[in-house]
Amino acid sequence: MEQLIKDLKLQIKEVLNLEELSLEDFDTDAPLFGDEGIGLDSIDVLEIIVLLEKEYGIRLANPKEGKAIFKSVRTIAEYVQQNRKK
Amino acid sequence: MINVLSTNITSPLGLTTEQNYRAVLSGASALRRYGPKAGEDRGPWGTTEPFAASLFSEAQRAEFVIDGHTFFEALAIRSVREALSHTKLDISSPRVVLILSTTKGNIGQPVRYYPSEAATEIAKTLGVTTTPIVVCNACVSGLSAQLLADRLLSQGIYDYAIVVGAEVQGLFIVSGFQALKAVSEDPCRPFDMERNGLNPGEAAATIVFAKTADGQGWWLADGAAQGDAYHIVSPSPGAEGLTAAIEAVMKGRDKGQLGAVCVHGTATLYNDQMESKAIQKAGLTDVPLSALKGNYGHTMGAAGVLETILSMRAADAGTVLPTKGFTELGVRGKVSISDAPQLTDKTAFLKIMSGFGGCNVAALYQKQAVPPTPFRGSTRPWTKVRTVKLCSKDGQTLTDIYRQEIGNYPKFHKMDILSRLAFVVAERLLKASSQEAETGEGQGSEVDVILFNHSSSVVADRQYLATICEDAESFIPLSRERFFPSPAAFVYTLPNIAASEVAIRHHLHGETSFYILPERDEALMQQILEATLAKTNMRTAISGWVDAESETNYECELSIYKTTS
Repeated sequence: MEQLIKDLKLQIKEVLNLEELSLEDFDTDAPLFGDEGIGLDSIDVLEIIVLLEKEYGIRLANPKEGKAIFKSVRTIAEYVQQNRKK
Repeated sequence: MINVLSTNITSPLGLTTEQNYRAVLSGASALRRYGPKAGEDRGPWGTTEPFAASLFSEAQRAEFVIDGHTFFEALAIRSVREALSHTKLDISSPRVVLILSTTKGNIGQPVRYYPSEAATEIAKTLGVTTTPIVVCNACVSGLSAQLLADRLLSQGIYDYAIVVGAEVQGLFIVSGFQALKAVSEDPCRPFDMERNGLNPGEAAATIVFAKTADGQGWWLADGAAQGDAYHIVSPSPGAEGLTAAIEAVMKGRDKGQLGAVCVHGTATLYNDQMESKAIQKAGLTDVPLSALKGNYGHTMGAAGVLETILSMRAADAGTVLPTKGFTELGVRGKVSISDAPQLTDKTAFLKIMSGFGGCNVAALYQKQAVPPTPFRGSTRPWTKVRTVKLCSKDGQTLTDIYRQEIGNYPKFHKMDILSRLAFVVAERLLKASSQEAETGEGQGSEVDVILFNHSSSVVADRQYLATICEDAESFIPLSRERFFPSPAAFVYTLPNIAASEVAIRHHLHGETSFYILPERDEALMQQILEATLAKTNMRTAISGWVDAESETNYECELSIYKTTS
């Protein structure tokens, strides 16, 4: 799980061009959206959906399904662990 | 205000305005379901997901062929020629301008990649001798193009404007909107409870405008554009921009004169919700709405022109067009909408549109024997307050400039080269100008961002193409295992996003517009800017050239213009 979290942080940082966020400051439990956390937006969600399909073979057709999944890196990792196809 | 001389709609539903009107009135729709056939994993053009769309049939496409032209160009030429056939206009006159509204022009074709090249070829074949102007303002382009015609003719720069909106569908646009989860695989349902996305559509539509009253009695009486300055894709939840655009147009005018509001009605969750709020806020709850995407899908660059023409024709017949696909109201704003035609005895309507980049446009059309009274507009003098230039030859990368001079705006790293370029130069311009004094900080609703270029969004196009095609030249789709269209890359393939990024950064809620020209033509840019400032009552504009042919070959020159009282 820890390795998956590390991988996801690297992948999310790269795919979303989070240049100013260091991996050390990328809190596993920080909210990904809103002013309190990482501050991602609706396009970022869609880009993470592409990432999950590309890297883990997970298809998420409806972004609304992702609301609970995309709370934090940890919730994404838990979802990936349960649903990954590659 | 300008007069409508002639119109044409060329769509899968018909080849003339009249044929299209009859089709819509009878409830016809060109929307069909497309997708991978049984046993196959790829649909039309290499798409991977099913979608509904309004596309020309092979037989229809064959009818439009013009040697030496792409289908997109031939379609536009066909529409313009049919519209012109009802006039005696000498289009070779230097008093005639061609304005092309499109979002992606010849994308997917091996020739004339830049929209300005397509426009030049279209103008040449038609016999138009003046420089064609391409309006590329995402989904509002067709309405923006009409506003531009109004401005140029009202200022006496030209006497006639041929406004043609055209869009052809293919892998680029369809996969992009699918990546954004914005496409419905079923015929769309504007304003309905069950709406779940838009349908791409193909069409060309033309309005020939005259400065003087020698037409059919329809006038583009007034128009206004306001930016959300909220987000590059999501509309402002409070609908402030669209509300402001409607209120600007209706200020001092009787709302009771309106027989209809022809809405954008894309059938996406957020667009229709926002539009309904704007309509309620603007006090238009009781005015019947019509949304035409259930007949044509979203014809993008053509939509604003096509839907305006149909609204004029319907009002001529005392009708408000039905909204196909609508059954049960599914928006929060109080609106009046129906899937059945309604009667009206009023000969004025409002056309509204909103699009990516947070653009919102409203335009008022009136049918009367004499020109409507202009309520807005001025000829106040303006001055160029300050200019900042930057080009790739200067040696410093845009990221270096950002890190050294700006920082603390992480979104910068998400932008494409065009947006980064406009962002960095606008930042230098505004910093150097002591923002309070020269742009009217705190009055962002009075600041326009009007940009021009030649290369459209070519770098972003290539970046998006890399996620769907083997290479940018061949357009051969990537294999299913490697086909992952990037939603973020797709958004920046609309060049007007560069203007939007500047507006969002500096909270500028005026108009954001993007025009594409065959070359850097300072005189024409100046004319467009002056005509805009005169028409919109804007106090300030940030305007200029922003062009990026590649990551290492770009140039930008932006200035602050200020009107003086």
